[in-house]
Amino acid sequence: MWRSYGRGATEITAVRGVTGQVNPGQRIALTGESGSGKTTLLHLLAGLDVPTSGAVTWPGLGLRGDRPVGIGVVFQAPSLLPALDVTDNVALPLLLAEVPPDEARRRAQDALDQLGLGALRAAAPDELSGGQGQRVAIARVLAGEPALVLADEPTGQLDHRTAEHVLDVLLAAVDALGAALVVSTHDPAVADRLDERWSMTDGLLGEPVGQGRLR
Amino acid sequence: MIGGWLAGLVRHRAGRLVAVTTGVVTAVALLAAIGAFLVSSKATMTDRAIARVAVGWQVQVATGADPAQVADALAGRPGTRTTDVVGFARVPQLSASTPTPGGGTSLQTTGAGQVLGLPRRYGTDFPGQLRTLAGADTGVLVAQQTAANLHVGVGDVVAVARPGLPDAQLTVQGVVDLPQADTLFQTVGAPAGAQPTAPPDNIVLLPDDVWQQVFRPLADARPDLLTSQVHVGRNAALPPDPAAAFVAESGAARNAELTLAGGGVVGDNLAATLGAARADALYAQILFLFLGLPGAVLAGLLTTAVAGAGRQRRQREQALLRTHGATHRQVLGLAAAEATLVGVVGALTGLALAALLGRAVFGSVAFGTTPTSAAGWGALAALAGLVVAVATTLLPAERAWRAGRVVAATALPRPSRPLWARLGLDLLALAAAALVISVTSGVGYALVLAPEGVAAISVDYWAFLGPALLWIGGGLLCWRLSDLLLRRGQRPLTAALRPVAGPLAGVVAAGLGRSRVLVARAAVVLALAVAFAVSTAVFNATYEQQALVDARLTNGADVTVTEPPGVDVPPSAGSALATVPGVRAVEPLQHRYAYVGADLQDLYGVRPTTIAAATSLQDSWFTGGTAAQMMATLAATQNGVLVSAETVTDYQLHLGDSVQLRVQTSSGGPVTATFQYVGVANEFPTAPKDSFLVANSDYVASVTGNDSVGAFLLDTGGRDDPAVTAAVARVAGPGATVTPLSAAVATIGSSLSAIDLHGLTVLELGFAFAFGAAAGGLVLALGMTERRRTFAVIRALGARPRQAAVFVVGEAGVVVLLGVTFGLLLGAAMSRVLVAVLTGVFDPPPSSLAIPWGYLTGFGAAVLGSVVLACALVVGWVRGAGVALMREG
Amino acid sequence: MAIRIPAVAGSTPGDPDGAPAVVAHDLYRFYRAGGEETLALRGVSLTVRAGEVVAVTGPSGSGKSTLLALLAGLDEPDGGHVDLGGSRMSHRPEAERTLLRRRLVGVLRQSGNLIEHLDVQANVGLVQALRGRRTVPRRSVAELLELVSLSARSRALPGELSGGELARAGLAVALAGDPAVLIADEPTGELDLANERRLLSLLREVAAGGAAIVVASHSSEVADAADRVLPMADGRWVDAGEPVAA
Repeated sequence: MWRSYGRGATEITAVRGVTGQVNPGQRIALTGESGSGKTTLLHLLAGLDVPTSGAVTWPGLGLRGDRPVGIGVVFQAPSLLPALDVTDNVALPLLLAEVPPDEARRRAQDALDQLGLGALRAAAPDELSGGQGQRVAIARVLAGEPALVLADEPTGQLDHRTAEHVLDVLLAAVDALGAALVVSTHDPAVADRLDERWSMTDGLLGEPVGQGRLR
Repeated sequence: MIGGWLAGLVRHRAGRLVAVTTGVVTAVALLAAIGAFLVSSKATMTDRAIARVAVGWQVQVATGADPAQVADALAGRPGTRTTDVVGFARVPQLSASTPTPGGGTSLQTTGAGQVLGLPRRYGTDFPGQLRTLAGADTGVLVAQQTAANLHVGVGDVVAVARPGLPDAQLTVQGVVDLPQADTLFQTVGAPAGAQPTAPPDNIVLLPDDVWQQVFRPLADARPDLLTSQVHVGRNAALPPDPAAAFVAESGAARNAELTLAGGGVVGDNLAATLGAARADALYAQILFLFLGLPGAVLAGLLTTAVAGAGRQRRQREQALLRTHGATHRQVLGLAAAEATLVGVVGALTGLALAALLGRAVFGSVAFGTTPTSAAGWGALAALAGLVVAVATTLLPAERAWRAGRVVAATALPRPSRPLWARLGLDLLALAAAALVISVTSGVGYALVLAPEGVAAISVDYWAFLGPALLWIGGGLLCWRLSDLLLRRGQRPLTAALRPVAGPLAGVVAAGLGRSRVLVARAAVVLALAVAFAVSTAVFNATYEQQALVDARLTNGADVTVTEPPGVDVPPSAGSALATVPGVRAVEPLQHRYAYVGADLQDLYGVRPTTIAAATSLQDSWFTGGTAAQMMATLAATQNGVLVSAETVTDYQLHLGDSVQLRVQTSSGGPVTATFQYVGVANEFPTAPKDSFLVANSDYVASVTGNDSVGAFLLDTGGRDDPAVTAAVARVAGPGATVTPLSAAVATIGSSLSAIDLHGLTVLELGFAFAFGAAAGGLVLALGMTERRRTFAVIRALGARPRQAAVFVVGEAGVVVLLGVTFGLLLGAAMSRVLVAVLTGVFDPPPSSLAIPWGYLTGFGAAVLGSVVLACALVVGWVRGAGVALMREG
Repeated sequence: MAIRIPAVAGSTPGDPDGAPAVVAHDLYRFYRAGGEETLALRGVSLTVRAGEVVAVTGPSGSGKSTLLALLAGLDEPDGGHVDLGGSRMSHRPEAERTLLRRRLVGVLRQSGNLIEHLDVQANVGLVQALRGRRTVPRRSVAELLELVSLSARSRALPGELSGGELARAGLAVALAGDPAVLIADEPTGELDLANERRLLSLLREVAAGGAAIVVASHSSEVADAADRVLPMADGRWVDAGEPVAA
């Protein structure tokens, strides 16, 4: 699987010849320095991006159009819509999946309650701290009940304690869903809490390292 | 530092510069082009005013002075083209005896009259003074009304009474019309209030040698009856501005009077006409301010909205500069340099564009006909351009500095209630506007004060406050209402969005609510653009409608066929005219004279049920009812008559009174008939400005035993088609005079309405069109690119393209709905206010506003088209790109 | 190539390499967002001598960037103070900090070091011009570009540069004002290994010329290149000891 950006002389190859497989319930840490291609690989896995060559298939998931259903993504950057309150933000993917509005809101509030964010349900995103924002983003994934959760540096911009807490929340949510999880990170502390480590360097994927921490 | 910065901007940020510069160019070009129009129309007014004057100066020769000497002295003055000595003789009576149809003769006598002695070249020296209706151009000439009174025509003999001497017997060689009789028979040197109310009814014109023969014998016995005037034709070069021309001209006249040293008093007809024109010029200037300034302000607002799209990049750049140690002054210096570049380039381009537009639309390049006015208008427009540049470049830089570096540009401006909203400034402004407008559009209010004989004229600038406050208050109220609806009206908003957005309606509505700063801004800018287009278009259409009405009033109709005097043309002759292609309706109009007491007035016989088909009757022409009501009343009262307000006062008439009129007949003396006073007519097609009568043509025909028609009024659809005019002339025959609308426009009373506003209209409506398209599509698209991250997130969360489009289309729909609704309301209000405050511009005042549906439809299509295009672009962008944005930190 | 830095005000003449160029004392910084208070820095002290390269390491959110912003005078501490070259940088009006910063500090970031509409040489020239006409730059624009091996790319726009070139151009801009102190926040964050090493060797050269360098990074390469490595976590030094001396 290849993905190139740009054109002409400045073309950058972000992911080169990556092959891998994510199985149900698997917890994978995608590690590597900044710019090693982690984000691109996650976007490819999420179906948000299309490989220049090669293919990504999701045998266990349905398709809606050309995009897979049942994948939740926690983005590196703040990804809450500033124009919507917390509940609407969490409900939005459900609405887009044509869940009736009332049910979507109910599931959104359940997800928020589950992550201890019930008090923030009417808050605006720009009233949230960084950690709260990421937890809401995780609630948004949880509400969608995905089979695969992809998280791109979910704690990259958080202080240590907050990061710890966000990671707890993420793992608990994935547990509750029984979903597979891929987290990209350059923080060894994060990688240590997952079962398997895929390390990337300059767009190349190293051999998976299992840590034997099966639960 | 600054040079390199600017060079980089020019080379690599051309888009950003061009966008802002375009806004500056638009503001400058609009102001400069309208300014150019104003200056050129002022020059036109001066030219028209001068052209209308038949005799520049009428110099009353003092008793005892030698007219020839006075004429010589005046001929030596700079700017004198020609001089003619004119003799005036007041005579007690004119009479004529003419054969009757029965074989006898009848003797007609008149009251006092005047006999003028004109040099034989007078007609060529002063071509506007005499219009030959029948017979020769020179020789013994009788005025039309006199000929009617005496029942004489060419070849008949008129006896002129000479006190103490036998009557002079003169054979009539021609019948003439004196279009400027009021001026010709003025009392020279008397103030306006002491002038005769009407020219004499009885006038005979003689060649000066004949006049000398007739009246020299009278000189010794009755010198009081004889006076002399020197008529002076002027061709002095005058300034193009009517006000300046007035000052120069009246100065020259006073100087000439000094030179004559008591030998004569100058009646300055030129100055009198220019005095009226300068008031009109001031009105033109006011029009410019009322119609042009909002456009320039709108251009500035649009530029600000466009420039606002680069806000985040600007803030990044500023943060970087501050990191590297740039001081406040340096950061502002760079922004000021950018503003100067944009302002100067924009101003120069705008002036060049205005010159091009001027050449294309007005046929003139110059911003003024004098260097001073050229520089003045250019400078004013350029200054406005610089203001726009500073407002869109320097001010945001200063704001960003104050916001501080730590505050990063947020994707969404925080909604807050601005100070003006908390203070209710919008409502206060509207209340104040209502107050000012009610004062300045009230009865008896004069926007322009031009006292006669005073060099200075003044405008009551308070009048500007009304529309200005309405613009400000209206714009702010649009913002307040949009904000309120988006904030509080989630339920109706959701319901309105449901057909487009389906289950997403609630989320879209909630999103609009939170991004209401951007949505309301786009809606208000659109509303202002719509209001500008609507008010300008309606005002211009109303103005053109009234100009047409004015021309029709003077001309009678689109085309008027005036039959020669003394020829009996039956109403049935109209059917031949009706067959001419292009003629929609033909209406016969009888023209007679009738004595009201001792006062001879024009009497028009009309067919009240059909006259409206051939000419436009204005409600303002009548007192006590609409035009339609008056005609209905006349139709219902067989012997009804409409009389002038002056006659009502003079004879203490009450509605329903019977009035005895002595109506002239073509054969024999006047017949007395009973008419019933049913209403007041102040103006009527082809009627003179002074008193006249309007009655049923059937009744007039039965009273006079003659149904001959004085004129046919033809409706050709308001257009001036020379081919139709020529065809009508062929059918009407050689004796008849055919006058199209254009002939009337040239001689029309008000010089302002004589100006062709067409160029200005094209220009303004063109700009309004561009503003509408920009405000609709451009502002919307730029507002959305500010939130492109939002759309990327929506896509990343699994929205299908159609679902993402719902967010775009939903917002566009709300913006268009709010903008167009508020814009139409504000535009309608503004149109009414403009017409009310500028009533003085209109002659006659309009009974109703003219709505240019064609333009407004096109405008609406342009706005919608630009919005649809913008939506398509944004949707296409959302569909294609998006995910890459999710990498941005 | 050794780069000489003019003697910093307050430093002892003749002993430029030993003078403390940066002194930070007991810095505190709070942020408040979403009703949560974050202690970004809690009592951080630091002394950096001229010619010394200090690497501040630690995970994202540990307070590195906050510390660097305070050192550069881009932000004000809630407690403690910062002295640069003997002049008090903290607790001054913004305008005074700006003047001090332009005289003493160069700032290099992970990205966004260049004005996008100016080419490389114009970017460097701009920063020199900001210092005013009376201050004659010690090194011309051409010399600075030579130093970072970008002479051939002097007319290129930032958008046309590769990642490594961008970082080196950023360094040229940061050095344009002859800074006594170079503050670098994740300068190699987006670079591949070769480019990272190249930039680090340049930083060492700059330090050899007499500049004090504080670089925040979580890269091991950066740590290896530094004279001292100070790990940070949760707003304080990881080793409780006073990390003043090397």
